Amino acid sequence: MKKEIIRRSPVAFNMRPVKEERRGHWVVALEYENEGDGPHLVDLSHCIRWDLQDSDPNGDRGKWKPLGIPVPEQPGGCIIKNGVMINRMNNTQAAIWHLSGEEAEMPPETAYTDVTDATAFLALTGEKTFAIAEKLTALDLSDLDGTPPFLIQGPFVHVPCQIVVMANGAEQPGILLTCSRGYAHDMVAAILEAGKAFNLRPAGEAAFKRWLEQLK
Amino acid sequence: MSFIITCPICGPRNAYEFGFGGEDKGPRPDEEALSPGDWCDYVHMNQCVAGVAREWWIHRSGCGVWFTTSRDTTRNLEVQVETMEKGPNPPLEKE
Repeated sequence: MKKEIIRRSPVAFNMRPVKEERRGHWVVALEYENEGDGPHLVDLSHCIRWDLQDSDPNGDRGKWKPLGIPVPEQPGGCIIKNGVMINRMNNTQAAIWHLSGEEAEMPPETAYTDVTDATAFLALTGEKTFAIAEKLTALDLSDLDGTPPFLIQGPFVHVPCQIVVMANGAEQPGILLTCSRGYAHDMVAAILEAGKAFNLRPAGEAAFKRWLEQLK
Repeated sequence: MSFIITCPICGPRNAYEFGFGGEDKGPRPDEEALSPGDWCDYVHMNQCVAGVAREWWIHRSGCGVWFTTSRDTTRNLEVQVETMEKGPNPPLEKE
């Protein structure tokens, strides 16, 4: 008998979603009860993530164009196109995140590695995002000199994270962060605890997509 | 006690984000005519400078890049060194 493959997010909120759907081998939470207007913490761990490593990701004059999107030239740079984000981590490495949540086939080159199951992927969105983040990291995510989206790498809740600041304006700021899968449980607990005073609530993918849409 | 280290990619950060990679001893010696003693010196012997030393660091909690920087070991502070003076520590003087 053929066994069904089930992929599980490392993130578990202390409540059941009111709307969910099966997508590929994932069960994706679309909506939670009493989500409110934000701030929101969204589990995006089902979104496909690839790692691209090469001695020079911009080598051969744009050799690497994942899904036709050029890798940013400078570390810290981010590009979003067609629901895909590419962020450049250092001189040899870039991350590719499928924010749309849709399935995608990885390019065949050996420079790519699927790291979806290796990390937890979270979005923290809403007006008080930076007030919450300030309690959890010494990194200055609200750096007004940076033009979002931009990547910051460093400790968040003392855990090495890749953090993309998507918007740092006053109205609807938000960040995306990935960390090693094993930290997911404690990472979520720490963020929710820090956000209690700001009415931070878990939210489903639908809330994230609404927020992403209004950024355009 | 912590101090600030400047990552070439991420900028100035708390030293707790970094890992120490040892003294900068220059390029790996040419293996032709390399005696076991010289190799042992290169791998294991350090200058332990009381003053400004050139060292390897890795931004372990950040971008993961290896780089060299100068640190005043008597004050445990990163120091800026003029470009002309940059480079590995001089080789050990043999008795």
